Parts: sequence; C-alpha cells; structure tokens
Amino acid sequence: MSRVVPSSTQKSAAEKMITAVGRMKGCDAQLVERSSGTKSRWTVSIVCDPENWRGLAEKLLTTHEVDYCSLITGIHWPDGPEEKKWEVVYHFLRTGIKNPPDKDGIQQPIITDPTTVKGKLVPLEIEVSIAIPDTRSPMVASVQDLWIGADWNEKETWDLVGIDFEGHKGMRRVLQPHETPTGYHPLQKHHNIRYHGFEEMYDDAQGFSRKPDDVGKVK
Amino acid sequence: MAEMWISMGPQHPMTHGLWTLKIKVDGETVVDTVPDLGYIHRGVEKICESRDFTQITTYCDRLCYASANTWSHSYIYAAEDLLGVEVPERAEYIRLIAIELQRIASHLMWLGAYGPDTGNLSVLVWCLREREMMMDLLQEMGGSRMHYNFPRIGGVKRDLPHGFAQRARSKLELFLQRIQEYEALYDESTVFLVRTQGVGYAKAEEMVNHGVSGPNLRAAGVNYDVRWAHPYSVYSELDWEPPVERSSIKGADCYDRYRVRVEEMRISALLTLQALDKMPGGSDTYHEPGDPKLLAKAPSRAPEGTSGYHHFEDSRGESMFYIAGGGEARGKNPYRVSIRSPMFITIPYASKCMIGYKVADIPAIMGSFDPCIGETDR
Repeated sequence: MSRVVPSSTQKSAAEKMITAVGRMKGCDAQLVERSSGTKSRWTVSIVCDPENWRGLAEKLLTTHEVDYCSLITGIHWPDGPEEKKWEVVYHFLRTGIKNPPDKDGIQQPIITDPTTVKGKLVPLEIEVSIAIPDTRSPMVASVQDLWIGADWNEKETWDLVGIDFEGHKGMRRVLQPHETPTGYHPLQKHHNIRYHGFEEMYDDAQGFSRKPDDVGKVK
Repeated sequence: MAEMWISMGPQHPMTHGLWTLKIKVDGETVVDTVPDLGYIHRGVEKICESRDFTQITTYCDRLCYASANTWSHSYIYAAEDLLGVEVPERAEYIRLIAIELQRIASHLMWLGAYGPDTGNLSVLVWCLREREMMMDLLQEMGGSRMHYNFPRIGGVKRDLPHGFAQRARSKLELFLQRIQEYEALYDESTVFLVRTQGVGYAKAEEMVNHGVSGPNLRAAGVNYDVRWAHPYSVYSELDWEPPVERSSIKGADCYDRYRVRVEEMRISALLTLQALDKMPGGSDTYHEPGDPKLLAKAPSRAPEGTSGYHHFEDSRGESMFYIAGGGEARGKNPYRVSIRSPMFITIPYASKCMIGYKVADIPAIMGSFDPCIGETDR
C-alpha cells in the first residue's frame, strides 16, 4: 500500500482553515466534498468581496501558509445578476514545501510521509471566487507580489477575458498577438466563433476587421 | 561592454516549439530575459465553450503531442467532478496504465531531445527506439499513435486487448534494462556533465512561489507529488514513492532535473507492472466496450452554477482544468473551461534561471525544464 494523505487529515485541516477564514470580514468559507474517478476529497471554497480580497490573500499566504498559486480564471457573465457580471476564480494549493536543509555542505532531501503530515504541512486545495458587479472595466487587486506564480496567470486573464488587476506591474498580451486592438478580449461572451475562408487568411490573419455576417455558419 | 538584445526564436533549435526568448547580453553573459509566447495559440478554451463534454476530450489530446493521454485524463477527472460520476475500479486501473505509459513516452521524448541540446546526438535515436515500444502499447489501447482519445467520462473507451498484459510486461522489463543504457550514455559523457552540472540552479521554495511543480520541483530535494498530496485514481493501492534528487546547496541544477526524470520513468514502469498484477478481474479478461465494469453512465448536462476542477500530475508538473457548467444547449456545453498549463507558468521562471549564465548555457537550462509549447499556448 502506498502512502497518500488520508481523507480525514485533509478534512480536519480544511475545517481549521474554514473557521479562521470565516471570521474575516466579507469572506464566506465552506467545506466542499469533491469527487472524481473513485476518490473523493475535501476542499476549501471561499467567496470573497473584491474590497477584502487583498487582505484575505495576505492572510492566506502568511497565516495559513498557502504557498502555491495554481490557476486564475476570469469568467464573463453578461446574463448574470447585477452584482455578478464578472467573476475571478483563484485556485491555490498548500504544499508545505521548505528548502531542504544542508548538513556539512551536503543537502538532505525532505521526504514527507503523507500519512503523518500535520498542522500547516497538510496539503490543501483552496478555491476563492470573487464576484465583480456590472462595470465596463472590471478590476480586482493584484496578488502578483505575493505569489509570483500568479503573475502570468493575471496577464493571461486580462489578455483573454479583459479583467484587469490593480497594481499589476508589466501587464501585456501573452497569448494574443501584440498588435491586438485595445479592448479586444476573446473570451468575453459577445465574441462568437466564426468560420472564415482561406482567402481571408492572407489579408487579415487575425480576423480583426472581419464582418460578423458569418456568425454561426460553422460552429 | 555594451549591452544588447538578441531574439532567440521563434525559429530556433533551442526553443522546442514556436516561441521567442529575448535575451539581453553583456558580452557572453545573460543579463535579462523576456519570454514571448502565443505563436500557436489556438483558442482551445473558447472552442470548448461550443462543444459538449464528450467532444472536448479530443481537443485536450491535442494540447501536447508528447503527452496526449495525461492531458485528456486531466480533463476527464475535472469533468467527472462537475458531472458527478462514480467510475468503476477496473477502469481506474486501465487509466493509470495509460497515464503512466504516456509519462514514460513523454519523458523519453524529452530525454532524446535533451541529447542534441547538450551535444550528444546518438541518444535521440536510442530514446525514440524505446518510445516506439510505449507507442505500440498505447496504440493497442487507444487505437491511434498520437491522439488516443482514450478516456471517457465515467470510464475508458475499451478494455485492454487480448495478450496486452503479457506484451506490456515483456516490453517494460526490457525497458527497465535499457534505462541503464541511457544512464551510461549520459553519465559517462564528459560533454554532457560539463554542460549540465552547476548550471541553472533552482531552489525549492522559490519554485513553489513561482508556481513550478512536478519533476522540476522534485529535483530540488522535496518529494511533493500531486499523486499523494491530493490522491486520485488508484495510486493509493500501489506501492511506490516519488523519486527525489539530492541536489546541491544552491538548489537543483540541470543534471538533477535529468536524474529525476530518469528515475520517474523507472517508477512509472513499476507502477504499470503493479497495476497489471492488481487489476480487479485480472488483466487477461476482456470486456466488450461499454461494459459496466469499464464505463459508468454519466449525465450529459451540467446545470448552471456548478463547477468542477481537479489537480493532476502531468508529465511536466501540476496541470488542472476548471470547468463552469451551464453553457449553451441547456447545460450540454460548458460555460467556461480554463486550463492550467504547467509550462505556461514554468517558462517565465526558467527564463529567470538563465540570468547570470552564458549564452551557450541557455539550451541546457531551457531544455532541462522540458518545455512543451502546445500546452503552453493552448
């Protein structure tokens, strides 16, 4: 039998974080059981106000030692309620990784035993979702300086979805071409996938000046 | 000396795909780097919004040509979380075999490509020879050589074919011996050692903060692995330990990253052999496609407001899909699919690692992180 983190350890660690985060202003934390394949797992799901996000992020990093930013997703909800036209979903992992110590100039690898991990070393999955009300320029606070892994995630979210990050240094297009027109963010819902003929490819390879008369032709 | 900017790429032997690395050099020393991605951005996330859940698997295969199975499985686990399916145990074992064989094939592709990066040409041919054995096995399972479209939401496409277990065992046992040949080729090559040792140091805590995971992280002396930290599949039933490298005080260098991948191939081969032995119902029995032991019935629609995600240990690090339900066709399509590509996050970090080294070290450092541009640009 291999050693994996037991479900009970995961659950109690998640509960501990939830009671701490739930006491913070503007944050609502819940324990969520998720299951894929044959295994189920316990995760922390936090709903946070845009104003309190920065405070929560600092708390997560320093107090709860959430050290790994996995994914930042921006979602455009044009048909959603007034207070949730945009949404940013963060996924974090707590890995509990420390630099291996060295003894007499030789590094000693840290071999964590998953069955006996405790305290803040227990791996956890944390999901934070932030709803942004109806606005032409959606924006949340940047966490680029806390987790450097969030840097390119934020760039991508702005590039594709158009949600800006306040305080983000060096924002630029990362997946779209550099000459993409200002304000063009393809994952916003009013942009539809279009069919285009091969002859269009030469004059306007990116399709920025294409007419929307072929919407829905091939989907 | 005057500093200047040089563009490596998009067409360059170092880049392993289409991307540009702009480097600022002072003489031969790298002073600053700016990676520039997006040359093969295909808009997979947008396309997924107009496809139903079963069609998306095909696109996920095409995210990375070297590691198609791990990507489609990564999606399938997230979709199962969203749709709420309980998968038969036999299907989980077959999936594990597919994932681990793919991991070996992917690492062999890397190991082969890393040879020419570091001035060792013959190893490429040797690695592709063994990769061919893995491709044959995967072809038997999935029916195709590159894009298998093998997993299904709720199980797998088909059972292991007749005689697969025996062929897999003999090929893997041969492969375990052949690994020693690569080690001999690399470890006894002075050119390789000089070009990889003491180059491109990366420390564990720094890597975690930068979002780097997988083999690159384990090379720095920690045994973190998503397969035990957030258990999925049947890894808990098998006896294995993630490989860890004893790196130097300065962190993991290119040589450590090479060592950890070779060890990981060994572990993957042993995992596959164990899974063949422990499979419920035995690995020699055959069930018709669609049998309840292979495929559970899954709902085809996800209501609005639901979401699913799953952290997955890809060959290059932690990959992840986040799917929001309730899209077009009354929830038959996802509303939003977001993909976490390990290499998209690792390439900026690897570019930072080069600062302070010589221009000639760039292929060795970049290659050691195993970049794959297909998944990076999506």
